[in-house]
Amino acid sequence: MMKKPMFSKLTGAIRNTALTAVIGAGALLTGCAATQPGSNQQGAESLPNGMKGDGHEYMLTVTRPNQLHVIDTETDQVLRSCDVPGTFGNGSIAISPDGRTAYVLTGMYENIYGFDITNCEITFSTHQSYDNVQVKSFISMAVSADGKELYTVQNPVRKHSDRFETMQPRLAVFDTSGGLKTQPVRTFPVDRRITKIAAMDNGEVVLGGGDLKAINPENGETRLITALQNWDRAPDKWVPPDAFAMHTMGEHVGEFIMPYFTIRWNGEPGDESKADFLWGHVRIDLKTGDVEMIETVPFEFIVFNWVTDPNDKNVVYGSFNQLSKHNFKTGETLGIHALDHTYYNINMTTDGKKVYVAGAGNTVSIHNPETLERIGYLKMPGDMSTSDLRLAVLK
Amino acid sequence: MALKKNKITRALLGTGVLTLAGLAPAQAQAADGESIIRDRCLVCHTDTGDASAPFSRISEQRKTPEGWMATISRMQQQRGVVISPEEKRELVKYLADNQGLAPAETQGLRYVLEKEPNVLESFDPLLQETCVRCHSGARIALQRRTEDEWKWLVHFHMGQQPTAELHAGARDRAWFDIALNQVAPKLGNDYAFNTEEWSQWQAVEKKSLDGRWAMSGYLPEKGQFDAVVVISQNDNDRYSVTLEGQYADGTPISGSGKAIVYTGYEWRGTLTVNGVKMRQVLAASEDGQTLEGRMYQRNDDVMGGKVIAVKNSAITAITPSYIKQGERKLLTISGNKLNGSISLGAGVKVISIIARDEERTVVIAEASRTAKVGSRDIKVGRTSADDLLAVYDELARVEITPSDSIARVGGAGGSIPKQKSWYRAVGYAAGADGKPGTADDLRLGYMPAQWSLKPFDEIAEHDNDIQYAGTIDNRGIFTPGDAGPNPERKMSTNNVGNLTVIGMVQDGDQTISAESHLLVTVQRFVRALID
Ligand code: HEC
Ligand code: HEC
Repeated sequence: MMKKPMFSKLTGAIRNTALTAVIGAGALLTGCAATQPGSNQQGAESLPNGMKGDGHEYMLTVTRPNQLHVIDTETDQVLRSCDVPGTFGNGSIAISPDGRTAYVLTGMYENIYGFDITNCEITFSTHQSYDNVQVKSFISMAVSADGKELYTVQNPVRKHSDRFETMQPRLAVFDTSGGLKTQPVRTFPVDRRITKIAAMDNGEVVLGGGDLKAINPENGETRLITALQNWDRAPDKWVPPDAFAMHTMGEHVGEFIMPYFTIRWNGEPGDESKADFLWGHVRIDLKTGDVEMIETVPFEFIVFNWVTDPNDKNVVYGSFNQLSKHNFKTGETLGIHALDHTYYNINMTTDGKKVYVAGAGNTVSIHNPETLERIGYLKMPGDMSTSDLRLAVLK
Repeated sequence: MALKKNKITRALLGTGVLTLAGLAPAQAQAADGESIIRDRCLVCHTDTGDASAPFSRISEQRKTPEGWMATISRMQQQRGVVISPEEKRELVKYLADNQGLAPAETQGLRYVLEKEPNVLESFDPLLQETCVRCHSGARIALQRRTEDEWKWLVHFHMGQQPTAELHAGARDRAWFDIALNQVAPKLGNDYAFNTEEWSQWQAVEKKSLDGRWAMSGYLPEKGQFDAVVVISQNDNDRYSVTLEGQYADGTPISGSGKAIVYTGYEWRGTLTVNGVKMRQVLAASEDGQTLEGRMYQRNDDVMGGKVIAVKNSAITAITPSYIKQGERKLLTISGNKLNGSISLGAGVKVISIIARDEERTVVIAEASRTAKVGSRDIKVGRTSADDLLAVYDELARVEITPSDSIARVGGAGGSIPKQKSWYRAVGYAAGADGKPGTADDLRLGYMPAQWSLKPFDEIAEHDNDIQYAGTIDNRGIFTPGDAGPNPERKMSTNNVGNLTVIGMVQDGDQTISAESHLLVTVQRFVRALID
């Protein structure tokens, strides 16, 4: 009985396959996490505990029932697995700038635990819900450039005895040294529908919602970075963007990237035969605040994210049923490689030598960015579902 | 008037002046429902002190019995209400009777109650785009609420399904704001709590359905049937039912069970028919003389069809419903209390009567070569039915129903059975203009067909869907493949497929075929009372 959106059969098809599947996955999560004691914890005295500092790189992800995994990108082996308290939600991860602490969203999007990835020690926690207010964060977590603050976007609903009341979302600021069971030190109202966020070097937090905005977490002042939903392009020429906004990433090159889908009507609006179906993206340099927004890549590939090649910022990679490589400047497809199953998520090492795809199953597949050929394959102990795949550069 | 009396009763109950003793049966039941609310619901809901809407959140909405059942089940499963099965049944009955929908308010939306598969909905674009994504539009249109109650419903969605505003079709717009400030006010207007239809229906004196009825209908496995249905009232709105009759091929159909009537017309029957558990979702007409709706298998609700039952003298069907110029054929007339001479309209003669009783008459009929093309009214004695029989020159086109359909893989040791789909072919003559596909085409009715499948498009062909997705039999019933990943297929996909169903109808020397789309997809893991 699902009716396809009027403007595009293509989006209809995609919505019916990929996107409803992934969001649906979030909605269907009901499994309980096993609460086994952390089996992989080692003695705290042997820090860094088999790990290397000085910029050694680790790929982090979460699997069901609810474990955070640390993968060494040199050996491509799981080095450590930390049990995350509570019910798996969507496996979102944010990493401190020193690469040492991984903040994991759990408890059906409500709770956050900060892990020392060298020994699984929980150094931070917060339960965002309080009294009769249910507070959820969808993906949105970021750590300030100085590592002192953790930001989340909170979506509160007050559960009265016989009705629910939807409240205004807010940016919550936590002191990362607040320890366990900590509460926000400041909150500021923000828009609805914010998913991915990132901290800029100037202290602002990028809010990836209907439009892209930045908020000053000191005083709540908000400015528009770039309008997406409310862009001022002629409606008879362009369909307003549909941003997927599933995973925050770009840490390997210090950027925030948000892909979106749009249609350019070259003839009458609605005339698909003359239209271009396009991927667009907004890319923000977190150091300088520079913003790039273009639509070039034809919408022939389903991807959930783009990851930028550190050696050539015009080159990006995307994954879903296939791994693909594109040039943002020319819109050219540089390569396609079939994958053994669907992978929602993708990331890279800072040297640009390896592409990792993960999510939607229990394997991590590792590829050569040049040829896209598989160069490694890792079986994880559980399903990654919609989990993040993030790069920790350990100082 | 009825409304006023109800208000007073409620007010008095509120003060405790009235006790159960001394009340008429209908009122006794009302008191029961109210005391259940007081005992089970006011832990969280409040007594407003307003006699016209005494219970917060409960008193300002109206819905179908299934709607009330779903809400109370949510109260049990998610809010922790403790209520016995007896009390729950009693409360659903009370709420559906006192805060139900009038027959007119369910018109055009009964498919979702009847669990009819493959209905394509089309609501106002604002509602369709904002709301008809996770469930049917009928789930919404089968409720009546104050604007505030529609608004609380939007808030409920945000708490219950916090990611609702992030799904495809929502995340590209201010979904919550649109739902709260555009959709809810519109619903408060289009589907208002207080309506003329409801006041009128409350004032109608509800008829007992007790009596001997004649039913005819169609079930996909065995086809057209006729039966005598005896309905006996046991208690207020509670009945026992027997059904005895035969399919067109003479196979007996026989069953019995019970039924309950909500809101004065919503018949819900559970019967065992030829050993199979079946449900009836029927609506009684205001005069209490017709019951119409759908009967389907309890464990496989796709497998069912339309039925109609009449208590007075009436003709319900003629099978087949067409006769060609110059043709001589067997026709079965079904109905109730059919006595007297049979007339099949101008140019169609009854040659002989093969079998006859009051519910079913089988005749050999002949249409003259010069009989005018068009539909005929049929008469048996003084009972008549309009436009029931079509006289035609030539079959001009065929349509397959449904035109778009879904089946779901299942079984294979899993807990979810396969969801089949089934098809029928409808024939048309070209009508006066001689051109098929125009407004004056003459509908001939359902015609027997030969059934086959082919890939819907190149992708389906390439992926060899036809080999994996399922098979169709000579009755037009499609059975999908087994559930689970299939290692033989690309990316070990499930036995899903995109197919075209072809129905081929033979009429004399002529063969005409038509197509319909079938998507074979994965199981549905969540099933709702109202989809
Ligand atoms: C434990 C607390 C609790 C109890 C007991 C309770 N409810 Fe509710 N009820 C709620 C809450 C919370 C909501 C709002 C959320 C929702 O709709 O599920 C609600 C909402 C409702 C609604 C509005 C639903 C809608 O679709 O707008 C109805 C009707 C309702 N309840 C009926 C009942 C009935 C009838 C009972 C007694 C059998 C009952 N409730 C008992 C907590 C309760
Ligand atoms: C994200 C999916 C989703 C969307 C979008 C959605 N609904 Fe629902 N709706 C649900 C679910 C799930 C339930 C069933 C809750 C239960 O009873 O467990 C429901 C229940 C309902 C009910 C029955 C509630 C009751 O207890 O009587 C109504 C009426 C309804 N929705 C109306 C709407 C309207 C109006 C909109 C648009 C504003 C809408 N829905 C959009 C998921 C959705």
